Amino acid sequence: MLQETSTAQTIPSIWEELSKRFSPRILTPQPAQDNIPTIWADPAHLLEILRFLKSEIPNPYRMLYDLTALDERTRTHRDNQPRSDFTVIYHLLSFARNQDIRIKIALHGEAPAIASITSLWPSANWYEREAWDMFGITFTGHPHLARILTPPNWTGHPLRKDHYARATEMDIYDLTEEKEQAQQKALKFNPEEWGMTRHSQSSDFMFLNMGPNHPSVHGVFRLVLQLEGETIIDVVPEIGFHHRGAEKMGERQSWHGFIPYTDRIDYLSGVMNNFPYVMAVEHLAGITIPPRAQTIRIMLAELFRIASHLVFFGTMSQDVGQLSPVFYMFTDRERIFEIIEAICGFRMHPAWLRIGGVAADLPQGWHTLIQNFCAYLPKRLDEYTKLATQNRIFKSRAIGIGAYTLDEAIDWGVTGPGLRACGLNWDCRKTRPYSGYDQLEFDIPTANNGDCYDRVIVHIEEMRQSLRIIRQCLTNMPDGPYKSDHHLATPPRKERTMHDIETLITHFLNVSWGPVIPPGEVSCGIEASKGMTSYYLTSDGGTMSYRTRIRTPSFPHLQMIPKIIRGGFIADLIALIGSIDFVMADVDR
Amino acid sequence: MPLLPTPAQPQRSRTDITFTDAVRRNLVLGKLQDLVAWGRKNSLWPFNFGLSCCYVEMATSFTSKFDIARFGSEVLRATPREADVMVISGTVFIKMAPVIKYLYEQMLEPRWVISMGACANSGGMYDIYSVVQGVDTFLPVDVYVPGCPPRPEALLEGLLLLQKSIATDQRPLSWIVGPQETIRAPRPSMRDLKRETRQKTTTLKPPDSI
Repeated sequence: MLQETSTAQTIPSIWEELSKRFSPRILTPQPAQDNIPTIWADPAHLLEILRFLKSEIPNPYRMLYDLTALDERTRTHRDNQPRSDFTVIYHLLSFARNQDIRIKIALHGEAPAIASITSLWPSANWYEREAWDMFGITFTGHPHLARILTPPNWTGHPLRKDHYARATEMDIYDLTEEKEQAQQKALKFNPEEWGMTRHSQSSDFMFLNMGPNHPSVHGVFRLVLQLEGETIIDVVPEIGFHHRGAEKMGERQSWHGFIPYTDRIDYLSGVMNNFPYVMAVEHLAGITIPPRAQTIRIMLAELFRIASHLVFFGTMSQDVGQLSPVFYMFTDRERIFEIIEAICGFRMHPAWLRIGGVAADLPQGWHTLIQNFCAYLPKRLDEYTKLATQNRIFKSRAIGIGAYTLDEAIDWGVTGPGLRACGLNWDCRKTRPYSGYDQLEFDIPTANNGDCYDRVIVHIEEMRQSLRIIRQCLTNMPDGPYKSDHHLATPPRKERTMHDIETLITHFLNVSWGPVIPPGEVSCGIEASKGMTSYYLTSDGGTMSYRTRIRTPSFPHLQMIPKIIRGGFIADLIALIGSIDFVMADVDR
Repeated sequence: MPLLPTPAQPQRSRTDITFTDAVRRNLVLGKLQDLVAWGRKNSLWPFNFGLSCCYVEMATSFTSKFDIARFGSEVLRATPREADVMVISGTVFIKMAPVIKYLYEQMLEPRWVISMGACANSGGMYDIYSVVQGVDTFLPVDVYVPGCPPRPEALLEGLLLLQKSIATDQRPLSWIVGPQETIRAPRPSMRDLKRETRQKTTTLKPPDSI
């Protein structure tokens, strides 16, 4: 995370704490560009080090924020880093310190293996499965190391550098009868594989397949329920039906050309997805953003937050049986799209942010559009709150249902409204202000019970706060350029070209090949509508990213479903799914 | 096309109506096959099925501002067995393809497929290992709606095109007499049809004003 506050003191402190406890032979620090202390550790002591960080030091790193890997075999700019073929990266987050730490493990050979950390963090389960699926790294001691994003009968590990990227490199896809049968067979659920029994002492369990196409699962998401009557004994969520290979895509698109792909990660939040990505690239390139561009970014991101929350609110009420609210909320979302379209020229995926600023200045008349909207929405929100959340049926479907405690939330990697509904007022916009959020007044809504109802309430209140932010952007919109003058800002300023052959060549290269971003690693996170989204970019000094890691909030949120719902009813599961606020593209990428 | 009731005549008193007028107002004459096609076209029930971003725009076309009910297609069915048309709204993933095929096969004939958005049409932006490059590699597609995602209006236009082709396709009702195969009306490329009018557009809305 980019932090401007007091990092200078905290970096040595965690390094001191670590080197006091562990021998210097097993730890090697790596200078980090993004103020996240980065330390290479000896694989044999991994669990020990992580346990120390998680529970033994004061103000511990309690959340496993991300776990991913990197195929280093073709990387050239490694600057004195330890030799490694595959690097596993553990990204931990400490709320008490407001600081992250990155632990790296170097692995060698074609079949790398490392100890599983599922005993420390339950949320490591899916992350390790993902790293196995994408990189072929074995995590010894993992309870069920199976493929997660690709189909079960896939061969190869897509994020390895020697795996093909394009579908068109292979034969044209065809789905013969036999192939379809084989695929269906591979998708068939086998309870024994998951260590489930088919009978209890008194009865036979029923295994119910819900999804991947089901109106209540919000996209292509599959849940296999183990039922005794109406009661859910256990659930196995299965994801990967929406895996679009966005991370691999990042390795072949230019830095600029990847922006539209980020829009489609959390497809309800439009340009808010561009935000962490362009911020990370700008950090690598050393670009500072003019204040007007920053304010435009914030304003659009907050408009999209409202749009996304409205869809959440509408579908949540629909999931628990109210049919009217969703129609009202989609109509209001259209009002937001009218503004978005007037400014960006597109509805859902405007890809409006640019490396170094935004695509164009605000159009004449934007002021009135936003003013009208800010005057219109609050009343409607009050009405919806009354309509939906004060309804007796809604309350009985949501209060006390799908609850988890703050400790559980942190253990499972929950961020965003789901975390704030447990009482922790953690919001990146406040705790790690980026892009000028520190100059705006707003509150962080929280609730205490962590149940479905509280998550809805937090979402509604966040819309009101977003409106507050938008109003401040409206009255305080700075003048000045909408894009940085930096030579790596993309596309470069047109007025700077056509002077002589040099300016023309520079312009041409920047537009055709795209900017060449200096080598380095940067992780940059924001408070997106569904939780913390961050982009961890590794540049090898080329026109494309060497590795683009996208940490999305919905991935750990879905992983937690079985933990929350065991012992509940199917109807509670529907309410829970509705209250999580996810889209599958944000899970599978 | 069946003879539909003629447009409303100027109001006259009941005694003024001639026999011909009365027949024209109260009788519909046509081939049964065409009448069935007319009925089918105006009550297409879509399957509640979505894959990714496009599904949100598809859902938007069901809500008040766009209101797909104007075209008789608002009856979303949660089961493929009750649906007439499947909108492939979103990216066709390799992991999902057998499921899509399976769902399609459960729909009763006659059944139609609208391929919505660039991904379903051709893979679109996603020429990547996990994505099928176009749903037409394993499903017969009737209408392709371009866009990423297409606006709800575009989906509605696609629906109207599908309706038009359903009304003009010759689909025999008898399974004893006459030719048995369906004769499909030509499905022209709208890009070609619209090119001339589009080329006439010389002034575009400037981007710097709303």
